[in-house]
Amino acid sequence: MNRVSPALIAIVAFLYLPLLVLVVFSFNRAPVMAFPLTGFTLEWYALLASHKAFISGFLTSFLVSQPVGILGMLLGLAAALALTAPQLRCRTTFVVLLLIPFLVPKSVLSIAQVMMMSSIGFERGATALILAQTLVVIPFATAIVAAAAIRLDPRLEEAARDLGASAWQSFRLVVLPQLKPALGAAYSVGVILSLADLAISMFLAGRVQPLSLIVTSQFRRELSPDLNAMQVVVLALTALLVVANELTRGRRAAMRRRAAPISTDQLVETTP
Amino acid sequence: MRLALDRSHLALPVTVILGFGAVLPILMLAVFSVFTVEDFELVPAFTLESWDDIVSNPIYGFLIGKAVATGLITAVFAALCGYPVALALARLPKARKGVALIVLLTPLYTGEIVRIYAWRVVLGNEGLINAAVQGLGLIDAPLKFILFSPFSTHLVLLYDTLPFMVLAIWVSAEFVDRAQMEVARDLGARPFQAFTRVIVPLTAPGLAAGSCAVFALAAGDMLTPSLLGGTSGATAMAMIDNLFGTAFDWPLASALALSLLAVLTVSAVLVIILALRLGGGRRSNRGLAP
Repeated sequence: MNRVSPALIAIVAFLYLPLLVLVVFSFNRAPVMAFPLTGFTLEWYALLASHKAFISGFLTSFLVSQPVGILGMLLGLAAALALTAPQLRCRTTFVVLLLIPFLVPKSVLSIAQVMMMSSIGFERGATALILAQTLVVIPFATAIVAAAAIRLDPRLEEAARDLGASAWQSFRLVVLPQLKPALGAAYSVGVILSLADLAISMFLAGRVQPLSLIVTSQFRRELSPDLNAMQVVVLALTALLVVANELTRGRRAAMRRRAAPISTDQLVETTP
Repeated sequence: MRLALDRSHLALPVTVILGFGAVLPILMLAVFSVFTVEDFELVPAFTLESWDDIVSNPIYGFLIGKAVATGLITAVFAALCGYPVALALARLPKARKGVALIVLLTPLYTGEIVRIYAWRVVLGNEGLINAAVQGLGLIDAPLKFILFSPFSTHLVLLYDTLPFMVLAIWVSAEFVDRAQMEVARDLGARPFQAFTRVIVPLTAPGLAAGSCAVFALAAGDMLTPSLLGGTSGATAMAMIDNLFGTAFDWPLASALALSLLAVLTVSAVLVIILALRLGGGRRSNRGLAP
């Protein structure tokens, strides 16, 4: 059965149509974004290179996204290990708690955080932004790591302990290597969510200017092709990150697949 | 004596961080909502002025209702569009599923602003849709209603949330035995019957999870309506933002935020119950089992 279902063609068209339009217009010569197209140019990309605000914004976003990715990964690991431990009490409460940053509208959460911070005299800025973004990454990172942790064979860990390994040793030498791919995925998703974030930055960035804020302030005024080109660059970098991540995981997954059939576990693992 | 520590104790640091970072700020909203503002300074007092305002001024109730309606409409459309896609994905050969997943999720990784921006180019007067329809000679003047209207807001909210719905239904469809889904057709059920009586009940948990996620994301969104909704773009979220920032009425902003959260939470729980009922209820009442 090689026929591709019409539902799949429709969703790919729907999901990728706007992105395709962005790409096309970033190479279009006319300075207004309107059909018909007027010719090929790389002018808008050349213009980008000289745009200082964009470059510094990109650097800021990148520097913020790294700690968010690492902290999100570590907290996701802790939460996932706790969730998959049989001894955990109040499991439902813990799950609800983990879901709060996902379900509460980001703007409400950010405003509430700003109010609390101001009442204890904590300044808005890079630190606040990193912490707030990390909170929002936790549900995603936890889901990714938990999907891998739930498949761990507890006998391997027990065997290590029986053979005289300390708790830390058996974690580092037996559990951690098995979770590595999931941890990589959790880190990438954290970085991607941080780069894409706008709602939290609007309230918590203070004087720090991540790229998304700079783009928004320009976008409110008008659409321009150099802005368009920049969106395409961001898109391409994100896609690169996703693909690189999938390729490294794909190889490991292929090894696992021999033991366990690929199915929902792979599905759940990549949930952003 | 050694302290008996095990993996479940790792929940502790996570709980502390989420408690201080997410739960405490929301609880603090209740405290701020009874304060008052004098000369641009928050004065700790106890007054129910803000709550009185929320109850007596119909605009707040209207905006909260609008948020619920937006969430529900988006969830319904996401479910309608999500089912055929999720079922088709579940039917793909195993080797293709990994690629399909990347294709489904990559648009989510793009920033919210990138997506809004791209849709403006698609839906604008000289945008893709209008150029195509005019090129075909179907209309003379550009369709104006497709940008800066409730239509564009809901379309883009659907775009933002559809992958979550597809993913949730897909995951639960993977757990369901394929044969079970197909046996209904073999026994002579029409496609629609097979769908409502067999497929929906079997994938109800996925539908419930997806609906809850889509509802929460769409109802709480502020940027899409404000940047694409035109005159229809007023939201409870934008009002809270306005009260918090420009008006510096933190007590009223807190009261409105808490009211919105309370209504959204209750609605989300109802959405979950409804979605599960849609599945479980039908199966037990007039299911196919003898």
